[in-house]
Amino acid sequence: MQAESLPAQGMMQTDSLIERAQEGDKHAQGRLVQLWYKRIYNYCYKFFVDHDLAMEASQKTFIAMCRNIESLQDAARFKSWLYKIAVNACREENRKNQSKRAMNLDGTRIGDADNSPRWEKALHRHENPEQQFQHQELSDLLQQCLMELSEEQREVVIMKEYEGLKFREIAEALNVSENTVKSRMYYGLDALKKILAKRNITKETVSYVL
Amino acid sequence: MYYKPDETLLIAYLYGELEGEEKAQVEQYLLQHPEERKQLEELVFVKQTLRYAGDKEVIAPPLVFEDSRARYFWNTRYGRMITGIAASLALLILVARFTGLNIRVTDQALTIGFWLEERSTANEALQMASLSPGEVQQMIDATVVKNNEHLQAGWKATQAMLDASVRQNLAAYSDAQFNTLVKKVSSASDEQIRQFALTLQAENASMIKDYLALNTTDQRVYMEELLIDFARYLEQQHRSDLQQLQARLTNMEEDTDLFKYETGQILASIINTVEPISTETKN
Repeated sequence: MQAESLPAQGMMQTDSLIERAQEGDKHAQGRLVQLWYKRIYNYCYKFFVDHDLAMEASQKTFIAMCRNIESLQDAARFKSWLYKIAVNACREENRKNQSKRAMNLDGTRIGDADNSPRWEKALHRHENPEQQFQHQELSDLLQQCLMELSEEQREVVIMKEYEGLKFREIAEALNVSENTVKSRMYYGLDALKKILAKRNITKETVSYVL
Repeated sequence: MYYKPDETLLIAYLYGELEGEEKAQVEQYLLQHPEERKQLEELVFVKQTLRYAGDKEVIAPPLVFEDSRARYFWNTRYGRMITGIAASLALLILVARFTGLNIRVTDQALTIGFWLEERSTANEALQMASLSPGEVQQMIDATVVKNNEHLQAGWKATQAMLDASVRQNLAAYSDAQFNTLVKKVSSASDEQIRQFALTLQAENASMIKDYLALNTTDQRVYMEELLIDFARYLEQQHRSDLQQLQARLTNMEEDTDLFKYETGQILASIINTVEPISTETKN
């Protein structure tokens, strides 16, 4: 709910900002970056599960946005246009870092119990530390599960589930038909179902964690 | 008729994007096929579970964008158009220059072509070539004759001018003038030479005398100053000796006083030690 209200709120301000940004107003461009950075970063983060790569791709996305915003003809399509840039930036970054990622095992290590530095990264300090840790662990685990999807399925699942894009917007961002998007989504969720089962994430284990 | 919704319809149903008849059909199908419903419910569970992977907090880093496009005139839309036209014109002029492009509007015709100017000059040359060789020979002869006459006239005038100047020079420096000059030089008598030598000697003698006189006075003054300085030095030396003597005498006086004082003290101490002994012996 919160994830959807932010872009909606952003879109209201975005329309007037886009016009000004297209006229070359640097302040408006800066505001657009501020408004959309968190969303694009989180898309990129879920795509890579790597902070540095996500930052790199996000920054490239916004640099490209500011350079090419003049070419955007319909301000209503800004969201799908921006995600299109992000998708391309992520794909490019992924290609460049494929060999490096294959060597890097740190990113896939799941923190174990008390030695995990994730204790320090915890955000909700009012919660029960154990529960908080389990939340964080579940979150990390889910992100690892997403990484097991194919690139195409991962893109669609993240955009739909976390970014709240409509199927039409996803289709525009990926330059494919709406039916293709829906199909990828279906098979993506189906694949995730199997991945979760393989990792023993069931209704029972999730309810135990929560 | 058998109805089976495909995955696109199922996913649209899952996300609540189906309406009306389509939605009813899918719902009907799921009621009739519990295994399909179960599968869809599992997808709902996946969807719900995915929500637990929340957002990460991040602060947008300051991105600095270059503002080069706004700064330059040729990057604006009109600027580019104007620059393009100007560049095309320049190119056209350059091409025209090298290809000899010629555009001419005469009374009833517009002529566009290459190297027209050169062709017309060639035509004129051809017309000129239509003169007969005899005429040409005549023209050349006439020119040569004229040229010869002109050259001869110039040569004669120069010759006359040279003659005149030579004559003038000869008149100006005649033998008579040279003779008078030589005579003037040789007329100087021995008497005059002797007189000149005498005056030279006298001048020399007076100069030496003056020099000596000046020299002796300078020396005297210097000697006097030297003597005075020496006397002053002796006097000062004398004074300092006296002062030293005086200082030594005062030192000696002081020493004597001190000696006296010390003797007094010693005497007093002797008396002090002697007096109690004498009183003891008296007692």
